[in-house]
Amino acid sequence: MKWISTICFCVFVIAAGIILVSSAEKTKQPTMLPFKIPQGWPKPVYDFSQNPVTKEGFELGRKLFYDGRLSRDGNFSCASCHQQFAAFATYDHNLSHGINNSFTRRNAPGLFNLAWQKEFMWDGGILHLDLQPLAPITDTLEMGETIENVLTRLRADTSYPRMFKEAFGSGTINTQRLTKALSQFLLMMVSDNSKYDRVMRGEDSFNLPERLGYEIFQKKCQSCHPPPFFTDFSYRNTGIPEDKYLNDIGRMRITHNPADSLKFKVPSLRNVQLTFPYGHDGRYYYLQDVLDHYRKNVVNSPTVDSLVRDNLPLSNYETGQLKAFMYALTDSSFTRDPRFAPPGYENRTPQAPAEHEHQYKY
Amino acid sequence: MKLSIRHYTTSTTGILCVMLTVLCLLNSATVYSQVKENTQQGEQLTLKFNLMAGRQHFSPGNTYTNPFGESYTVEKFRFYITQVQLQDSSDMSVQFFPNDYFLIDAGDTSTQTITIPLSLKKITSISFLLGVDSVTNVSSVQTGALDPVNGMFWTWNTGYIMLKLQATSPAAQVPANQFTFDVGGYKQGENAARKIGFLLKHKHLIHSLTLNVDVDKLFNSVHPVKIAEHPMCHEPGPLAMQLADNYATMFSIGEMQ
Repeated sequence: MKWISTICFCVFVIAAGIILVSSAEKTKQPTMLPFKIPQGWPKPVYDFSQNPVTKEGFELGRKLFYDGRLSRDGNFSCASCHQQFAAFATYDHNLSHGINNSFTRRNAPGLFNLAWQKEFMWDGGILHLDLQPLAPITDTLEMGETIENVLTRLRADTSYPRMFKEAFGSGTINTQRLTKALSQFLLMMVSDNSKYDRVMRGEDSFNLPERLGYEIFQKKCQSCHPPPFFTDFSYRNTGIPEDKYLNDIGRMRITHNPADSLKFKVPSLRNVQLTFPYGHDGRYYYLQDVLDHYRKNVVNSPTVDSLVRDNLPLSNYETGQLKAFMYALTDSSFTRDPRFAPPGYENRTPQAPAEHEHQYKY
Repeated sequence: MKLSIRHYTTSTTGILCVMLTVLCLLNSATVYSQVKENTQQGEQLTLKFNLMAGRQHFSPGNTYTNPFGESYTVEKFRFYITQVQLQDSSDMSVQFFPNDYFLIDAGDTSTQTITIPLSLKKITSISFLLGVDSVTNVSSVQTGALDPVNGMFWTWNTGYIMLKLQATSPAAQVPANQFTFDVGGYKQGENAARKIGFLLKHKHLIHSLTLNVDVDKLFNSVHPVKIAEHPMCHEPGPLAMQLADNYATMFSIGEMQ
């Protein structure tokens, strides 16, 4: 009887050992980062089950986002054109600078609330967030590199293989993991804490111009720029005439449908104070220029949206109130969020001048 | 009291012991059945893609003349094969491989032979898709043959290049005389994937099948596509559809064993 219990005891010890070892392995599992859907917002379109966000994946994505070695000459990271202090648009540039002193062909949009976005680029040509980074990396006017060279460089690096292992369980570095890590970083960029949001949550209140501007906005702007994203993600021709040097036909390049000629994605107005200049080619420097376009300069053509055809009636008074409201869409907690800062710069995120806009101009 | 506790622990460890043994047995049983399955269904079909330009062997670095007398020197020639289906009409049994994608590359002979497991008693017909199905075109970033690193993916306009011919030709009035047929498209009216099928006649079960691929047909079969007139195909649309109609006729059955 005694030897039986001894054997059993031994087996028990071994089993316990196995359990202990396997639980020790479990502690090496990446730490899940919960994705919080702001109250009242719809379900994200991104399928998180295919790419669960972890602390390790997010940090890897952050490092990649700020790493110039994703470009051919090592100078152009994602962050070159997507600067945090500009809500991840390019501050003060109509077109961004790419490799070999080139200019991009379109205005870099701000990056936030991407988990709710189905199609990317001004023409909606890219159909998945994971696929998006491949376009700027390979574009000869942007980062000008091949995916193969990027992967080779990352594999030869001293820290990336370890970071990929921590994030994905093994040191394999391939296109899928590269883009999934970038997506994890990008997905967490949620901008939902502007003054507008605080007012809607009952934590703050509009001043008079903001309140009046909000009323005008609801009447004249909201059908294309509805909250909470301040875009309906549709493609519209707002009567901006074609630039004869860029020859950008917009959505039609993707669909080949003449009905989509000169249509571009409706941009979000969140953080609009920081994402100037405006328009798909950045031809409007001030918000006032955009409003002036809508009230005076819409160029009618067959595909111009019926909502702005023959101009949008806006008085001087109304444009002032509208701007006051749009400034309330600036989310400074987002542009100062240390989680999205370059690695090592968490406590000194650069900021745009508080009042860049020539608010006193008109 | 003390005794009963000891009895209790003994019996628990005993149960654990039994469970471990059972687990071990189960494990070996699975391994055994897998081995058995493999030996039973270990038959394979080898598909060889024999790349030709007319009667000449086709490979990068060489110069060929297309049916219009335009000479060209090949840099790259690649295409996707998926949805391989084998059928035995005698007992209506079918083998279908919708999730296996193969990138056939003229520059890499190891890609020109593919093997698929075979469980049919006879193969009376074979079909496959040249291209990538529409669902996979719009899914996220893939690995393996479908990894965008293979250069068969449009990054600015989501979708796979189903067939690529990159070459230089004096007939191509473009920079560096480099002409490119990047053929793809998955949307309605622009779908460049083509299903290709053949009936097979043979007495015994074959284990090897050669498919001849005649690149001449890419230029001229259903539609005449001259390099001088169309040096660039770089997006889905009418030209891609014409080239797709042409490549659907590139294949013919060669040797069977």
